[in-house]
Amino acid sequence: MSTQPAAHYDRVHEAWTLIMGEEFHYGYFADPATPLDEATAALTSEMLELAGIGEGDRVLDIGCGTGRQSCDLAEQLGARVLGITTSASGVAAASALARSRGVEARFEQRDGTANGLPDGAFDVVWALESSHLMRDRAGLLSESARVLAPEGRLVLCDIIRKREIPFLEVRDRRDDFAVLRAAFGDAHMEPLSVYASLLEELGMTVVEATDISVPTLPTFAAWRANVTAHSATLLGLLGEQGVADFVRSTHVLEEFWSDGTLGYGILAAVKSPL
Amino acid sequence: MTSPDQTLAVITTFLGRADKSAADLSSATGLYGDGLELDSLEAAELSAMLEDEFGTDPFSSGDELPQTVGDILAFYEVPATA
Repeated sequence: MSTQPAAHYDRVHEAWTLIMGEEFHYGYFADPATPLDEATAALTSEMLELAGIGEGDRVLDIGCGTGRQSCDLAEQLGARVLGITTSASGVAAASALARSRGVEARFEQRDGTANGLPDGAFDVVWALESSHLMRDRAGLLSESARVLAPEGRLVLCDIIRKREIPFLEVRDRRDDFAVLRAAFGDAHMEPLSVYASLLEELGMTVVEATDISVPTLPTFAAWRANVTAHSATLLGLLGEQGVADFVRSTHVLEEFWSDGTLGYGILAAVKSPL
Repeated sequence: MTSPDQTLAVITTFLGRADKSAADLSSATGLYGDGLELDSLEAAELSAMLEDEFGTDPFSSGDELPQTVGDILAFYEVPATA
């Protein structure tokens, strides 16, 4: 079974919506009892605060998934949004969502690491939990910087690697890593400092780079609660092994969060004026 | 000592499991980057397969990780004891 991003997302989308909620990403929990939908909305709010999107701003949503975020940005903020994803069915689903909501967000099948869009065409580049699936992180960030207008903003949040993982440790824990790959696809995590360094090399000013591992940690327990709540449907979508693998992956991630191997970061950077 | 054919058979089996092509596999084929494009997890999986088969493996035994298929073959071509 392919673990490449497009095929991966096509396969698991429906199941993940049940598990992760409509916003389809991690939550930012004020406390562990916060409902998941409030926590995911809170993470989006953190991104919005950093993005400072105004009416009419041109926004590029990289790795737009099902288009929910793009539609929200267009509908709630009056932004002119282009969502891009490598998944053809993602484009179809996102376009259908925009039509059904009467929102003028556009969606195109493009690769965030080589997007083919014009220079300086966007005021904000938005990458919510998509960068870990793009192995060419330098390509993603250089393309993001290229398409930003002067003084434009990149905002990004994602899973991060918080320390070097020696080869022998990878080998010892390969079953755990394999579980994560099976559940979440071909992900490659980098430290926040790598993102920041790459952006500074591109001449951008990093205005925020914050580790938010602690407030995102309760996400895993919330996902497991949804697995329990939707177990019959999920068994049909993922199969018994798929559900078991997903639950195990949440425990693996929880352990990695707790031992400081992986975590979650949020970052914003501004392109220099002309 | 392990023959190159035995070693290549394990590598080929691993590549099949990893959904990677074993076509044009040679001693000069790189393991990472422009070659087989193994990431750290795939290298760990290959390492474990080689150890399961031969009792030792070049990823865990040396100071430096092998860089090419030839490095793996060479590791097994050296007699374990003089």
